[in-house]
Amino acid sequence: MTTIIMKTTARVVVPIVLVVAISLFLQGHNLPGGGFIGGVLTVAAFALVYVAYDLDYLEVSVLERDVDPGRGIFEHRTVTTYRRLFTLGLAVTLASGAGALLFGEPFLSQTFDYVHLPLFGEVELATALVFDVGIYCVVVGGLLAIFSVVGAE
Amino acid sequence: MAPERWVVFAAVALPFLAAALLPLGYRLLGERVGYAGAAVAAVCFGLVASLVGTSGTVSAPWIPSMDVAIRFYVDGWALLFALLASGIGVVIFAYSAAYMHGMPNLVRFYATLSAFMGSILGVAFASDLLVFFLFWELTSVCSFVLIGYHTEEADSQFSARMAMLITVGGGLCLLAGILLLSSAAGVVLGGGAADPTFDLATILAAEATGGSISTQLEDSGLFLPALALVTVAAGAKSAQVPLHFWLPRAMVAPTPVSAFLHSATMVKVGVYALGRLRPLFGGPEWELLIATLGLATMTVGAVLAVRAVDIKELLAYSTASHLGLMVAAFGFQIHYGAEAGAYHLLNHALFKAALFLVAGIVAHEVGTRRVDDLGGLWRDLPVTAAITVVTALSMAGIPPLHGFYSKELLFAAAWDSAQAGGGLAWLYPVTATVASVFTVLYSLRFLWLFLGDRPDGLGAVHRPPVALVGPPALLAGAAVVATVLPERTIDLLVQDGALATATAGETVSVHAELPLELSGPVAMSLLAVGFGVALFPAYDRVLAVVNRGYRLSSAVHPTALYRGLLAGVDRGSDGIRRWLHTGLIRSYVWWALAGTCAITLAGYAATDATPAIAGLGVPTAMVLVLGVAVVAALAVTATDTHVTGVLTLSILGFMVAIFYILASGPDLALTQLVVETLLLLIFLLVIEELPAFYGELDVSVAAGDAALSLVVGATAFVSVLLVAPPGGGSLSGTAKEYVERAPKEGGGTNVVNVILTDFRAFDTLGEAIVIAMAAMSVLVLLAMRGRGETR
Repeated sequence: MTTIIMKTTARVVVPIVLVVAISLFLQGHNLPGGGFIGGVLTVAAFALVYVAYDLDYLEVSVLERDVDPGRGIFEHRTVTTYRRLFTLGLAVTLASGAGALLFGEPFLSQTFDYVHLPLFGEVELATALVFDVGIYCVVVGGLLAIFSVVGAE
Repeated sequence: MAPERWVVFAAVALPFLAAALLPLGYRLLGERVGYAGAAVAAVCFGLVASLVGTSGTVSAPWIPSMDVAIRFYVDGWALLFALLASGIGVVIFAYSAAYMHGMPNLVRFYATLSAFMGSILGVAFASDLLVFFLFWELTSVCSFVLIGYHTEEADSQFSARMAMLITVGGGLCLLAGILLLSSAAGVVLGGGAADPTFDLATILAAEATGGSISTQLEDSGLFLPALALVTVAAGAKSAQVPLHFWLPRAMVAPTPVSAFLHSATMVKVGVYALGRLRPLFGGPEWELLIATLGLATMTVGAVLAVRAVDIKELLAYSTASHLGLMVAAFGFQIHYGAEAGAYHLLNHALFKAALFLVAGIVAHEVGTRRVDDLGGLWRDLPVTAAITVVTALSMAGIPPLHGFYSKELLFAAAWDSAQAGGGLAWLYPVTATVASVFTVLYSLRFLWLFLGDRPDGLGAVHRPPVALVGPPALLAGAAVVATVLPERTIDLLVQDGALATATAGETVSVHAELPLELSGPVAMSLLAVGFGVALFPAYDRVLAVVNRGYRLSSAVHPTALYRGLLAGVDRGSDGIRRWLHTGLIRSYVWWALAGTCAITLAGYAATDATPAIAGLGVPTAMVLVLGVAVVAALAVTATDTHVTGVLTLSILGFMVAIFYILASGPDLALTQLVVETLLLLIFLLVIEELPAFYGELDVSVAAGDAALSLVVGATAFVSVLLVAPPGGGSLSGTAKEYVERAPKEGGGTNVVNVILTDFRAFDTLGEAIVIAMAAMSVLVLLAMRGRGETR
């Protein structure tokens, strides 16, 4: 699948997909989107990179780091990062739920407020966004961990 | 006087807290943490002791909607049991600190021991039946961990599993019995069977005033099932025949555990429950069942103790026998029964815990536990010998030791019941006397470890340190006090306890005095002690007879039955595994889908659901999109390469996404689109690895798959018809509420997302956990593929 057409398309498409994913994630509270959709779209972008290039491409060519070829896939730095990501996501989700307990509300209660920012005008800040960040991290980390390990087989 | 709420809660919670802090304590104190445990037990003992004289219920809410609360009920019976548990706990912890010197895994040992003490205090005080069940099972779990202390040894594992299976299996019977009882109580106390009452104190109070709950149970035909379930539970826990066999096996645990759990406290939980429920279930059926069960256990246990070859095994069978004595006592429907049961609970704990600790000292200092290899130890272990004289003679029921008084009360109960019942009821006193003869025999045998001739093979014996002898000496001291001041002991501890176990109409007044004239029960005692002492010189011949009987009855030994049952279960599950666990993913998918459809359709059939179809007003665009989807679905089955198959399948997926857009579900459509894209990518990744040719198609397999596909499609179709809201474009009540509440309470206009992150965030959290678990499972499965079974 690592043809020139594929590689060129991926180069053009992936940044756009990532931007769309982030905007979908952020607008989720008021428009179609949210943590899960944004997460899956991000995964799709990364998956495209893996299909067009390979697992080490991000490390070697984008981040310009060395990859130790002798290590197994489970100790691979990318997989470790994804593992940490979904662990972090779960932690954020739980913490956002536990935060409500501090204010005497039931577990996972959410609230929101509006603040004025220069340039942006009135912006809504919702605690649900923190919860959604956690969901996003779990989806991205979990699916990409599976994807990269299975892909390496 | 009502008990202080915090005192009761603190007494129960403190041991659990100590268990949680024990790892830290072990770091600071090392092995001396055992003495810290003893201090905690002493504080609990002090707290419980401060409650003596009070009675009443204290509670904290737990599940108010179900009328379940953490209720504790304080009365004489609870206090007696709690004082025993915490008091003996002090002794056991102090003894363990010396006995467990240099042993591994001490943190786990002490933490479990402490948690166990908390559980037993919970059982003693629990008034809410569900809380009672919870603590009851916790004691079983702690017992499992402590019996399996030597985790590496097969013997330990086998015994721990056996104890767990039997006591927890009994626990399940208890749960069923509790549910029967509480629903009957719900009917009587208002609310009906659907609104059960779990408060045992209320149930017992209602029973005491009118007896209406047992009548309700009888009317609904559930009295005997409830009684049977409770009896099985108590019998399993208290090692009653035929479920007694786990107790001797449990002796693989370290000796302090045997002394604490398997003689003084945990095994008494069943007896305690029977005493508690005696006022409720009391009656002729109760007497027949419980008294027979208890006397059978008393006899079987005593006979088996006589043929024991290991001193701890001897004590274990003897414990079963004495538990049988208490059970039988509570079985008799006469005031002597309640008195004997409560009094013997105390007496047995005092002498048996001390004897176990003595057995531990002997094993520790001499190095063997075989009865035949031991004898004449009084020169080497004089203090231990003195302790044994007091406690073993008390176990035998020799006057004027305290064990005599409670046994005499049992004889009185058996004798009076026989006089009242006549005929076959005379078997009660006869059995009790025969069992007591054997009790005297094995008690003397244990005493002869210290008094008889010293075998030549016995090497040098060390003097035990004070830390080891002190604890049993303390218990023996308590036994002496109970012997010298029986009336004081009774007034302080036993009388109120016995009162709580009395049925309506019984006048309970415990007395301990040496009989001065001959009566039926006195004659029974004389016969038992006389025969026991007379037969002791001919112990070997008695042993030969017992052994012959044991061999003849080998077909019905419960241990053999248990092994047979386990082997049968193993074979059965192996057979199912071969048939079900084929290792082929297609067969799992097949069965999972078939099962889901069967259950779903059965659910619709059971509820007589009929779909509400309001016309077929479908827009042309939708028909077109769905038509393309159907064509794509048909085309998938006809493709001959993977690439075309995958691409055709994607057409189907994208059509569904467009359908969602038409049906104004943009979030669903987005999700469908991105997931479809991702799936396509994954297919691209693996497509090169797939074999191009799968072999010939088996017609029967294809037919099965086709049938399943039809069933799955039909189920989905029916589900949509049933679940979909009636047409017309109006929102259902739930949908309306969400639409109204989302902007106000969630601050978002995307209702779907507000539901996901706010209203039903718990569901989303669960799904996130599922994703994380799936990722971890894949990582673990792939990482471990090279290990394990491929060796």
